[in-house]
Amino acid sequence: MQKVPSTFPEGRLRIGIDIGGTFTDFVVFDPSSGHIHTFKLPSTPHDPAEAVLLGLSRISERSTGRDSQAIDLWNITHGSTVATNALLERKGARTALITTRGFKDVLQIRRQNRPELYDFASSPAPPLIPAEMRLEVDERVDHRGKVTTALEEEQIDQAISKLQSPTASQQSPVDSVAVVLLFSFANPEHEQRITEKLRAAGFFASASHEILPEYREYERTSTTAVNAYVSPVLDRYLSQLENALTLEKEGDLRTSNPEHPASGPSTSLTGVRASMQIMQSNGGSISVGEARRNAVRCILSGPAGGVVGSQYVGELVMSPSPSTPAELRASPEEERRLSGQGTGLRMLTFDMGGTSTDVSLIDSQPQITTEAEVGGHPIAIPLLDIHAIGAGGGSIAYIDAGGALRVGPESAGADPGPACYGKTMKELSSGMPRDGEGRNSHPSLHVHNYPQATVTDANVLLGRIPPDDFLGGAMPLYSELAEKALKRIGEELGLSATETALGVIEIANAHMERALRVTSVERGYDPRDFTLLSFGGAGGLHAADLARKLRIPEVLISPYASTFSAFGMLAADVIKDYTQTVMLPGRSSSEEISDRLAPLAQKGRDDLHKEGILEENIILQRSLDMRYRGQSYELNLPFAEDFINDFHQAHRQTYGYDRPGGEIEIVNLRVRAVGQVPSPQIAPQAIQSADASAAQIDYRPVVFTDGTREIPFYRGEMLQPGNQITGPAIVVRDDTTILINQSDRASVDAYLNLRIKIGNQK
Amino acid sequence: MNHDPIRLEVFKHRFAAIAEEMGAVLRKASYSPNIKERRDYSCALFDDQGRMIAQAAHIPVHLGSMPLSVEAAIQKFNTFRASTDNLDDPQASQGLAPGDVIALNDPFRGGTHLPDITLVTPVFVENDGLPTSQRSGAPALFGFVASRAHHADVGGITPGSMPVAREIYQEGIIIPPIKLVEAGEINQAALNLLLANVRTPEERLGDLRAQIGANQRGALRLREMVEEYGHAEVGRYMETMLDYTERMICRLLSNLTDGEYTFSDYMDNDGIDDQPVLIKVKVKIAGDRAIVDFGGSAPQQKGSVNAVYAITLSAVYYVFRCLIGLDVPNNAGCLVPIEVIAPEGTVVNALHPAPVAGGNVETSQRIVDALLGALANVAPERIPAASQGTMNNVTIGGIDHREEEPRPYAYYETIGGGMGALHNQDGPSAIHTHMTNTLNTPAEALEYAYPLRVLRYEVRRGSGGEGQHRGGDGIRRDIQVLGKAQVTLLTERREQNPYGLNGGQPGIPGENILIRGEDEIPLPGKGTADLRPGDILSIRTPGGGGYGEGQIQAKDLVK
Repeated sequence: MQKVPSTFPEGRLRIGIDIGGTFTDFVVFDPSSGHIHTFKLPSTPHDPAEAVLLGLSRISERSTGRDSQAIDLWNITHGSTVATNALLERKGARTALITTRGFKDVLQIRRQNRPELYDFASSPAPPLIPAEMRLEVDERVDHRGKVTTALEEEQIDQAISKLQSPTASQQSPVDSVAVVLLFSFANPEHEQRITEKLRAAGFFASASHEILPEYREYERTSTTAVNAYVSPVLDRYLSQLENALTLEKEGDLRTSNPEHPASGPSTSLTGVRASMQIMQSNGGSISVGEARRNAVRCILSGPAGGVVGSQYVGELVMSPSPSTPAELRASPEEERRLSGQGTGLRMLTFDMGGTSTDVSLIDSQPQITTEAEVGGHPIAIPLLDIHAIGAGGGSIAYIDAGGALRVGPESAGADPGPACYGKTMKELSSGMPRDGEGRNSHPSLHVHNYPQATVTDANVLLGRIPPDDFLGGAMPLYSELAEKALKRIGEELGLSATETALGVIEIANAHMERALRVTSVERGYDPRDFTLLSFGGAGGLHAADLARKLRIPEVLISPYASTFSAFGMLAADVIKDYTQTVMLPGRSSSEEISDRLAPLAQKGRDDLHKEGILEENIILQRSLDMRYRGQSYELNLPFAEDFINDFHQAHRQTYGYDRPGGEIEIVNLRVRAVGQVPSPQIAPQAIQSADASAAQIDYRPVVFTDGTREIPFYRGEMLQPGNQITGPAIVVRDDTTILINQSDRASVDAYLNLRIKIGNQK
Repeated sequence: MNHDPIRLEVFKHRFAAIAEEMGAVLRKASYSPNIKERRDYSCALFDDQGRMIAQAAHIPVHLGSMPLSVEAAIQKFNTFRASTDNLDDPQASQGLAPGDVIALNDPFRGGTHLPDITLVTPVFVENDGLPTSQRSGAPALFGFVASRAHHADVGGITPGSMPVAREIYQEGIIIPPIKLVEAGEINQAALNLLLANVRTPEERLGDLRAQIGANQRGALRLREMVEEYGHAEVGRYMETMLDYTERMICRLLSNLTDGEYTFSDYMDNDGIDDQPVLIKVKVKIAGDRAIVDFGGSAPQQKGSVNAVYAITLSAVYYVFRCLIGLDVPNNAGCLVPIEVIAPEGTVVNALHPAPVAGGNVETSQRIVDALLGALANVAPERIPAASQGTMNNVTIGGIDHREEEPRPYAYYETIGGGMGALHNQDGPSAIHTHMTNTLNTPAEALEYAYPLRVLRYEVRRGSGGEGQHRGGDGIRRDIQVLGKAQVTLLTERREQNPYGLNGGQPGIPGENILIRGEDEIPLPGKGTADLRPGDILSIRTPGGGGYGEGQIQAKDLVK
C-alpha cells in the first residue's frame, strides 16, 4: 500500500493498544526519534479500561518528563476484546428483534445444518435473541423492492409498546433492538420507519440495511443481531475511556493545533489531548462514534492488527534503507518474491500463541472474507480472512483409543499451563473428544493428579527453551516435570521421552502446516512465492520447520513479536466498507453500474471526511460481486469498464473454466473507502558487523531429529543490525525463543527483524 | 505396534486435508444451489483396491456408498478383473489409464439414487523405489479419488428427479460406469447424450466440470504426497489408517454387552400402496465383532422407498461412526468388524429395476432409527430418541414467466425438523438430522431465482415429544407459488411417530397442507400435485422423540 503525505496530524505520539485475554499491550511510536517502545500490563477483565488507563498514565509520565510545559498530543488506535468477549461470554445487551411476519425464527433455524455431523449431542449455539424477544410486523417487500404489503404505523407502535412493557419473564428491560425485514436491502423504507421510531423512543437500534444491505436473510439477521447485542457494551466501555481521557471530537483531526487544553478527571492524563480510533476486523480503524454504533465491525480487531502489522513490516523491509549494506539488501529474486512480481507483497502470517494459532495470507493486500463466524454466529461483513486452529504451545499431548499420538485441541492454557510450569493440576474444561466408551478420552479425566505434557514441554525437554531463561528469567521452568510428563506418554507408545517430544513437535507442526496449506495451496497460491512472518510467543521455535515443509524460502520475526497486534494498529488506515445487493443483469452498461456505485462512493467519501481524512488521502475501491446466472457463489472483482470480460477471465483462473456466452449476474456492489494514514516512519538503524558473537550467551545441547548437538544460544535483545547467525542456533528473547536449523542462515536487518533464510536441506 | 504413532497422526492430517480440499474446489466451482448453498456433496480418497481411506465430513449418507462406486468402476474397467460382460465394451477392455474419469449414477452399479452423480478418477504414480533400469516406464495405479454431488435435475417424469415412480426408468437418466473423460479428453458423445436428457443442461455441465476439477485437485495432492514420502510409505500408512479406525470400532464393540438386540420401525408407505413398510433389525454383539441383520424387513416396494445395499451400509456406518466419537478418519476400517446382512429383494437391498429415489433420503433415515432403537437396549445413555426421520423432500417445478423469455425451473429442497432428546439434554429444534446435513435455500435467494414466495419459515412449536428431556420441534415452511406449478413431495413420518425413549413421548408427525384461499387441503406424504397461482404449500415437519418420563420443566418451554 502506497502511503502518501497527509495532514493527519503528524508529530504526535502514536499509540497502539491491544487488550488481550492475559495482557494489555502498548506500542508507542515517537515520531521525533523514529523509535518504538513497547510494554505489557496484565489485563483487567473486570474493567478493561483500568489497564488501558494505567498504561496511558505511564506513557504520559514518560513524556511529560521530556517537556512539562507542552500539552501532549496523542493519536491512539485501540483494539479490544470488549465486544468479542461480550459475544463469546454472552454478556451482551438485552436485545430484541423486529422482523417480517413469519420469519422470527430465522435466527434460530439458522441454515438448518448442525455443527457436528457425527455427534448425537451436537447442538447449535442458542440464538442471541430468545424467541419471546423476537417480534413480527405485517409487511412485505419483494425481491425488486416493490412493497407488496404496506407496513401500517400501528404495527410499529404495537411492537414498540411491547418492548417498553417487559413481561414478567424478563428480568431487565430491552435496551437494544435489531431490525431485519425481508428484502430491506432492495427497499429499506419499512426498516427505516421502524428504526426511526425506535430511536425516537430511546432504544439503541441496529437496522440491517445499515449494517449489511445484502441478500441471504440468516446471515444478515445474525450480523445485525450481533451488532445490536455487543454495541451497547462497547459503547459503555468507550464512554468510560472518554470520561478519563480528553478526546477530540470526530473531525478534529483536521486541525493540528489544539484550541483548548484538556481537563479530564485523571490527574496523570490531564496534560494529554488525544484522538482515538478503534481498530476493526477489516484491517482499518474507525472513529469512536462509529465504533459504538457498529461494534460488530470491531469483533476480531486483535488478530486483524497482527495482519496489518505484517503488511507494514513487509513494506518496510521492501524499501531498502540507504544504510543497508549490499549483502543485506534484497536480491532481485527476493524482491520479486516480496513484491509478487511488482504486484505487491506476498506473506503468510503465522501467529502461534498458547492455545491457538492464527494464519493468513497477504497477496499485496490481506485477504478478505464475508463468511466469518464467531462463537457460532455468522458475521457476514468483510473481515480479514484469518484461519484459526486449536494448536499452540499449551496444546496437550495424549494417546487416543486407536493408538495415535495426538496433540490438542485441548490446551493447558496459562493455568495450570504446561507440566514444566509446575503449577497444581486443575480439572480441565469440557469439550474434549470422546473415545469409544463415550467418555472423554483425555487422560486427565482418568487420572487427575499429574500434569499434562504439552508442546512447550516437548520444546523444553529437547533443550530448545532454556528453563532458566523463560520470559526473561521471570518464570523458572521445571524440565524434570516436562520429562516426567512426556515419559509417561512414551512408555505407553514404546518410545523414549525424547522420541515422544520429537513426535509431539512433529504433530503440532502437522496441524499448523495444514492450516498454512488451507490458507495458501488450497486457494491456488504457491508457498515458494511467500515469506513466512512469525509472531506470537510460541511461533519462533516452529516457523523455520514449517517453512522448510512448505518450501517457503524465508522466515521473518519482528522484534515486536509479542505485541504485534498493537504494533499493527499503528499502521492501520481508516477503512470503511459499503455494500449493496442489486442483482443486475450482466448486460447492464458500465455507466449504469457506475451510477449505482456513486451513492456508495459518496457515502464513503462523506464518512471519511467526517473522520477527519482529507480528500487527497481518500482512495475509493469499487468492486462487483458477479456470477453466472444460476450459480450461488460470487467472485469479487474490481469494477472496470470491461467488467464482463474480467469476470470470464477470473472465473477461468479460479475455477478452470468459463462460459463466454453465459449470462452474468451482478449480485453485489461494493465500495471500500480507505483514508490513508501515514505509517510511522521507523528509523532504520546503522548496520554493524556480521559478527554476532557478542550476543552469544551459551552453548547447550539441543535435540534434533537426527541427533543431539551442542549449539550456540544468542540473546536476541543483544543482536545488532547486520549480525549474522548460521544454524543450528537458538535465539532467546524475553518474549519468544527462535530456532534456526542447520543449513539455515539468519541475519538481523536495519529494523531489527530476524530474517532466516531456509537452506536446501530436505 | 506395527506403525509409528507419530507418522500415523501426521498422515491422518494429510489424507483428510486432500478430501477437504477437493470439497472446497467442488463447492466453489459448482453451479447448483444444491451443491453450493446446500453442500450436498462428498469427496473421498481410496487405495488401489478401492478401500476408502478418508472422506471429508460432508454428507453421512454418502459414507458407506462411495466405496461401492469405486468398486463398480474397478469392476468395469480394470482389465485384470474384467468380468465377461465387459468383453464387448471397447472402453472397458482398455482398462483404466491416466487421465480417465469414470462417471456413474446407476444405483444398481455403484450409485445410490439417480441425482447423485459420482465421478471416480484413478490416480497413477511413477514407479518408485526401483532402479531406473528396472522401471517399466508405465505409471502404476496407486489409488482413486471420487466426488459425488446431488445434481438438481437428471431428467425423469418430474422436475428435480425425485418423483414417486414405479420403476427406475421414470426417475431420470441412468448412467452406468462410463469413461466421461478418457485419457484427458472429454467423451463428448456421452456428455451430449447425458445433457440431452436433463432439464437444465448448462447447470449440469457446470457441476460436472466442478467435479472433474475437484478430482484433478485430489489426484494432484495424492501424487505430491507419494513424491514426498514414496509409494511404499504412503501405501503402508493407508493400510495403517484402516487398522486405526478398525481398532477404534473394535474397542467400541468390546465395551458393549454381548447379546442380541432387536427393534422394528416402519415407513409410512411407499407412496403407492397405503401400507406401512417394516424395517426390522437384529444386532448381535459378540466381543469386538457385531452382526447387523435386517432379515425380516419388508420386501422391495412398488414405490420409490427402496434402498439399495449401499444406502443400508451407509446408515449402519453412520450409527457406529457416531458412537466412536469425534475426529476419527472416515474409512473402510469402520465396517471391518461389522457384518451387515441385508437380504436381496427387500426394501433394504432392492434389486433392479426398483425405483429408489426415496431410498437415499427417506429409507436411510428409518434404517438409522431402527438400528438406534436396537442399540438403545444396550447403550441407553448414548442413544437419542428418534429424530424427525425424514428429509422432507420438496420439489416445485414450472415455467418462470417473470422475464420476457419464459424459462423452466426446478426447485428442490429438504427441510429440517426435530432432533431426538438424549438422556441428558433436549433435542435441538429445526435442524437436519442423521443422514443429511444440507443447508437451506435462503428465502431471499429462492425468491430471486424462482417465481415463489416464502410466507413463513418458523419453528413448529409443540411438535417435539415430551419427557424428562424434550424432543426438538419441527419446522413450518409455507411457500406460495406465483404461477402454475407442479409439486412433488417425498416425505415420511406423516403417520408413524418418531419414537420416544425410556418413557419419553413420541414426536408429533409431520403434515403437508395445500392452502388454497380459505381451504386447507391435506396432501399425502408422497405424491405429485398441480398447483394454481396463489396456492400455498405448507410443509410442517415432525418433532423429535422425548427421553425419559417426567414433567416438563418451565425452562424447557422456552425454546
